[in-house]
Amino acid sequence: MHAVRNISLCTKDCLCLYVCPTGATDTETGQIDASKCLDGCRICVDACPSHAISLVPEEFPAQQEKTEAVRKSLLSLAESKIKQEKMAAAIEMKSDNPGLRQLAKAISISNRLMAEDLIRESGYMLPQSQNVQDFLQSLLDTDQPEGFPKEAAERLLEILKKDKNKEDKKMDENKTLDNLMEAFAGESQANRKYLAYSKKAEKDGKLNAAKLFKAASDAETIHALKHFEVAGKVSSTADNLKDGIAGETHEYQDMYPDFVKTAEAEGNKAALTSFTYAMRAEEVHAKLYRDALENIDQTEEVFYYLCPVCGNIEKVRPDKCSICGVPGDRFIQY
Amino acid sequence: MAKYTCSICGYVYDEVAGDPDRGIAPGTKWEDVPEDWTCPLCGAVKADFVEEKRNKEPVKKDVNVVENEADSMREMSFGEVSALCSNLSKGCTKQYRSEEGELFSQLAEFYKTISSNAGEGGLKDISLLVEQDLASGYPAANPIAADVSDRGALRALVWGEKVTRILNSILSRYDKQQDSLLEGTHIYVCDICGFIYIGDELPDICPVCKVPNKKIIEVMRG
Repeated sequence: MHAVRNISLCTKDCLCLYVCPTGATDTETGQIDASKCLDGCRICVDACPSHAISLVPEEFPAQQEKTEAVRKSLLSLAESKIKQEKMAAAIEMKSDNPGLRQLAKAISISNRLMAEDLIRESGYMLPQSQNVQDFLQSLLDTDQPEGFPKEAAERLLEILKKDKNKEDKKMDENKTLDNLMEAFAGESQANRKYLAYSKKAEKDGKLNAAKLFKAASDAETIHALKHFEVAGKVSSTADNLKDGIAGETHEYQDMYPDFVKTAEAEGNKAALTSFTYAMRAEEVHAKLYRDALENIDQTEEVFYYLCPVCGNIEKVRPDKCSICGVPGDRFIQY
Repeated sequence: MAKYTCSICGYVYDEVAGDPDRGIAPGTKWEDVPEDWTCPLCGAVKADFVEEKRNKEPVKKDVNVVENEADSMREMSFGEVSALCSNLSKGCTKQYRSEEGELFSQLAEFYKTISSNAGEGGLKDISLLVEQDLASGYPAANPIAADVSDRGALRALVWGEKVTRILNSILSRYDKQQDSLLEGTHIYVCDICGFIYIGDELPDICPVCKVPNKKIIEVMRG
C-alpha cells in the first residue's frame, strides 16, 4: 500500500517532505515516488494538515455480489439513459437554436453520468475485478466493429491479470505469515515443555535424558526466535516495550481473572495458586515495562530481582516476596 | 398552515414562512404560490412537491415491466459498453492508474463513435423515455434491489430517479416556456450524479448527491 498525493487538495504545507523516512515525497512530479514509498508506513498520511495524502490499497474489499435480477433492472435503465444521451447528442449536433443545443448538451451529459453509475453498480465497480476482466476477454473473444483498439484491450487485460497474480501471491504470503506465527507458538511451547521434562529427569537422576531435554529445549528456542523474527514481529525496543505492556495488561486484567474464577468454581486449588501468582506478577511486569519505557534513554545500570517461585520481579532485593512470601535471599539478580 | 416537501431534493415549503427571497410573502397558501415558482434549491416545479403529512411513499402504480427485455440475458449495446469503459477509466484515475485510465478511455471513445450515429429523435422522444423510466423503470428496479439489500444499487437508483424527475420537470418547463427558460441564465450539470440546474446561483451543494458545488460544472452555449 503506497501513498499518493491528491494535488487538488495539497496546500503545500510540505510536512510530508520532512517526515518521510525515505524521501519518497520529495519529487518534482507532484506525485509520491511509489518505488521509494514504504508499504503501509503512512507517516505522511497522518502528518498532512490538508488530508491530501492517502494510501492506495492493493486489495480492495470484495464487491457486493450482484443478482441477475438487479443486474438486469439496472442495465435496462442504463439502456434507456444511453438512448436519451444519443438523442440529446443528435439534437445538440443538428439544431440551429443555440439555447436548445445548450440544453441538449446538458441532457446528454446528465444521461451519460446516470448510465455510467447504473452500469458501475451492476457489478463493474473496480477495474481490477474479475467481472471487468471477463468483460474485456469477451470483447477480445467476439467480433468487434472495424477499428476496434484491440491492443488497448489486450494491454488492459495483461496489466489487470498481473495485478490479480500479485494479489494471489500476497495471499500466499499471508498464509506463510500465519504459519510462522503458528510455528512460533508450537516451538515456544515445546521449549517450556522440554525444560519441564529436563527438570523432572534431573530430579529422577536420569542425567543424560535431562541433558538431552535441555539441549532440545534450547534448540526449540532457536527455532522460535527465528520464526518470530522472520515474521517481522521484532520492532524497536520502545515498540517492544509497548507490546510487552499490552500483553501483560491483557493477562492480568482480562485473562487471569477469568481463569481464577473458573479454578475457584471448580475447586482446583493448585491451578488457583498458579493463576493468582501469575496474575499478580504480570501486573508488576506491566508496571516495570512502563517504567522502562519512560526511562528508555537512561544509561545508569538498573538491577532486577526475580522471585524463583511466583515470577515476581523487584528492583530492590526485598526481605520477602510481596506476592508469595519467599525469603528475599532466594531472589535471582539480573 | 401546511408544509410541502420537494420530492427531488427535500426542500420544505412552509406556508408560515413563505419564500420572501422570491417574493412569496409569509403566510402564502400553497395553492396561491404562482405556478411558475420553482424549488429554490433544485429548480423543481410545484408539481414535484408533496404535502408533508401525506405518506411519503409514492402511490404504488402498476408496474409494467417489458417482460421479454427483463427476461432475456441481454448483451450491452455499444453505447453501454462505452459508458462502462468511461466509468472504468474514472475508476482507474481514482486509483492513480494513469495508463489503465488512458486505455479504458480509448475503448470508451471507440464505442461512443460507432454508436453515436444511431441517435434520432427530438425532446418529445426523450420525454417519453423519461416518463417510462419514472413510470416503470425505477418502480420495477427499486424493490428488486431492496429485496436483496443491495445498498449500492439502491443508492444509484435513488440518485438516478431524482435526477430523472428533475429532467422531467425541466423538459415540461421548456415545453411551456421554450427559450425564455434559458435566456439570460446558466445551465449546470453535477459531474457526480448528473443533476441539471438552470439558474443564476448554484446551491452550495448538489441537492441530489450532496457534493460541494465545485463539482457542478457549467454547460456553455456553443
